[in-house]
Amino acid sequence: MINRVTNQQLLYSAQRNLQNAMSEMGRLQDRVSSQKEITKPSDDPAAVANLLRVRQSMSANSQYSRNIADGQGWLNTIDSALSAVTSILHRARDLTVQGSNDGVLTPSQREAIASELDSLSDQLLAQANTSYLGRSVFAGNSDAGVAFQPDYSYTGSPGSSVTRRVADESAVRVDSDGTAVFGEGSSSMFQLLKDIASDLRSGVSIAGRIDQVDTQLNATLTEQAVVGSRLNGIEKAQSMNLDQSVALEAQRSGVEDADLSKAILDLKMQETSYQAALAVTARALPATLADFLR
Amino acid sequence: MSTFSGLNAAYSGLVAARQGLDVVGQNIVNAGTEGYTRQRVQTSAVGALGASTSFSLPRPGDGVAVTGIARLGDVYLDDRVQAALGQSSYWNTMSTIRDGLEASLNEPGENGLSSQLHSFWGAWQDLANQSGESAPASVLLEQGRVLASQIADGYHNAQAQWSSTRAQAEGMVGTLNATAEQIARLNGQIRSTIAAGGSANELIDQRSVLVEQASALAGATVVYNDDNTVNVIVGGSPLVAGTTARQLQLSGASTMEAAAADPVALVWSHRPAQPVPLDAGQLGAALAAMAPAATDGSRSGGAIAEQAEMYNRMATALADAVNPVHEGGVTPGGSPGGPFFAVASAGPAALGLSVVPSDVSQIATALPGEGGKGGGNADLIAQIGAQPGSPDDLWAGFVVATGVATSAADQQYKLSSQATTIAQNLRSSQSAVDTDEELTNMLALQRAYQGAARVMTAVDEALDVLINHMGLVGR
Repeated sequence: MINRVTNQQLLYSAQRNLQNAMSEMGRLQDRVSSQKEITKPSDDPAAVANLLRVRQSMSANSQYSRNIADGQGWLNTIDSALSAVTSILHRARDLTVQGSNDGVLTPSQREAIASELDSLSDQLLAQANTSYLGRSVFAGNSDAGVAFQPDYSYTGSPGSSVTRRVADESAVRVDSDGTAVFGEGSSSMFQLLKDIASDLRSGVSIAGRIDQVDTQLNATLTEQAVVGSRLNGIEKAQSMNLDQSVALEAQRSGVEDADLSKAILDLKMQETSYQAALAVTARALPATLADFLR
Repeated sequence: MSTFSGLNAAYSGLVAARQGLDVVGQNIVNAGTEGYTRQRVQTSAVGALGASTSFSLPRPGDGVAVTGIARLGDVYLDDRVQAALGQSSYWNTMSTIRDGLEASLNEPGENGLSSQLHSFWGAWQDLANQSGESAPASVLLEQGRVLASQIADGYHNAQAQWSSTRAQAEGMVGTLNATAEQIARLNGQIRSTIAAGGSANELIDQRSVLVEQASALAGATVVYNDDNTVNVIVGGSPLVAGTTARQLQLSGASTMEAAAADPVALVWSHRPAQPVPLDAGQLGAALAAMAPAATDGSRSGGAIAEQAEMYNRMATALADAVNPVHEGGVTPGGSPGGPFFAVASAGPAALGLSVVPSDVSQIATALPGEGGKGGGNADLIAQIGAQPGSPDDLWAGFVVATGVATSAADQQYKLSSQATTIAQNLRSSQSAVDTDEELTNMLALQRAYQGAARVMTAVDEALDVLINHMGLVGR
């Protein structure tokens, strides 16, 4: 209990109170203008630990969203290439059926069919070498530039696949195994069409080839279904990624961002109390006995 | 009883009142002087000379005598202020240093090391998507270099802070030595002034301001001697003993790296091998912050060296996390990968971290057997950041530990400065000048002066009657 109060005490405590009010106002002003609850680790160390984790997840998440876009590009490219392959094979099957009518066709008609089959084979090869952003989509991780050489040999290494990471624990395969769709070398579908053409020219019956074309067609359709389901999966991953990014942003904002209305209210309140402190100081300090003595 | 003794008594009253007014004046003009302690005239009544006898009347006293000018300070309150100052200046300096270290982290935010780490891992993922392409590879290499230079920058920052703290500490020791000499000189002046019967109140005020300065600098405490001198004790030994001042100096290395083997310490100039233990004052905080880092990784060493050590550990952890995975992969050309990061063997790891590959052909993006365009290994490296025990985790742990230490230091500073405020408040309640009180005293002394003058007039009139008007009746 202090009984004796001196001018110096009053002066110092007024000074201290004004200083405190001012620094508190500075802190609140900082919060309003930066709109951040946490600007340095010591503001709330536990929240900062959370914040760093959330920020890491956010940056990983945005990276996954880039990966997903890239994966979609791959799979869409493959899908349209396989659609083209399917229609080419349909045409090839029609021609094979047409060419298998032994004894009806004239040699020039046979030649016409054979040369169309030749060109279809070349178109197939072009489709098999479809590329996305400079990478052959059917060649796996091969760096040969094409999936199939002109001699129909496959350049990709068996068993390797191209994947894109779409979430922390899940990666989606975004390429298609060229050998599974097109076969390889002498057993490839390009060679098959070439063989049918040469059989036609040399007058060998090609009736037995229809089944072989069907087999290839089936392989293509199967692969397209697989690619379609992967595309589906990656789209699902995309929507999850979007949800996740919204959730993470909400989490970050909840930890880091200032509640603006509360911050402004606090600031206003502090302003009022600072002004009150100023007014009181101005009134109280100069009054001494000297004012009243004559 | 002499005829004129009444005049003398009244005169002594005039003298005492005038001296009282002088002291009131001194108090009022020094109301704002730092360290000034209010004074008061001490008076006592003068007894009658000689005893009354049965043949004489009882005799009144012979007026008033000024016996001295008292300094209304309180040693106990002074001690309390000094002790509180030692603590609050320690934590003031410590929290300033820690605030600086914390600010240099730039966390949490876009400019911190954590977000650069995220960019680095992201660049690996981009390269995995487009392995073998030179554009994402050069982005990755650039991100790696930025990461290395950011770690080096952090280290340099700690180095700079250490050097500036060392320079500040030198300045503090200089001030402390000068203060000690001034205290010793004042001790001498006070002793001789008081021995000669004078008033040394103002000198004592000056001395206690200097002692407070020493407390704030080095947590000095005071022992009062019988001859009105004081001894100032720093770290258990006297810095000032009577009129003798001893000198302190800093020993130890002048760079942070060298200080690990040769720590900075405060020593007596006449006994340089003997370190002075300090746990208070600005100097104590500066010395604690400059202490070497703990060798066992417990982060219990000095704040600045620990921060620098953290950057070293980050550099090593990055190399240790990335290199084994990178070496397990193959480059687009098919040859096995070398190290991605190199850490120079000489000097601090944080400054020696560099990126080894110079272009896409040296980055092991593929897993063995995956094919030239494979990105499996790059994907593996990109995942490092999310694994437990990753460099990211190490960094986050450090950021949190820094935040905790900084907020603890801030809290300590708030508490100790509150204690100082209370102590100073108590002391200024006791010893500061209250102008109202002084004005009241002034009024009382004015009245006393008037009264004494009145007594003198009355005695004078009585004497006038006796001398000039006696025996004139009937003339």
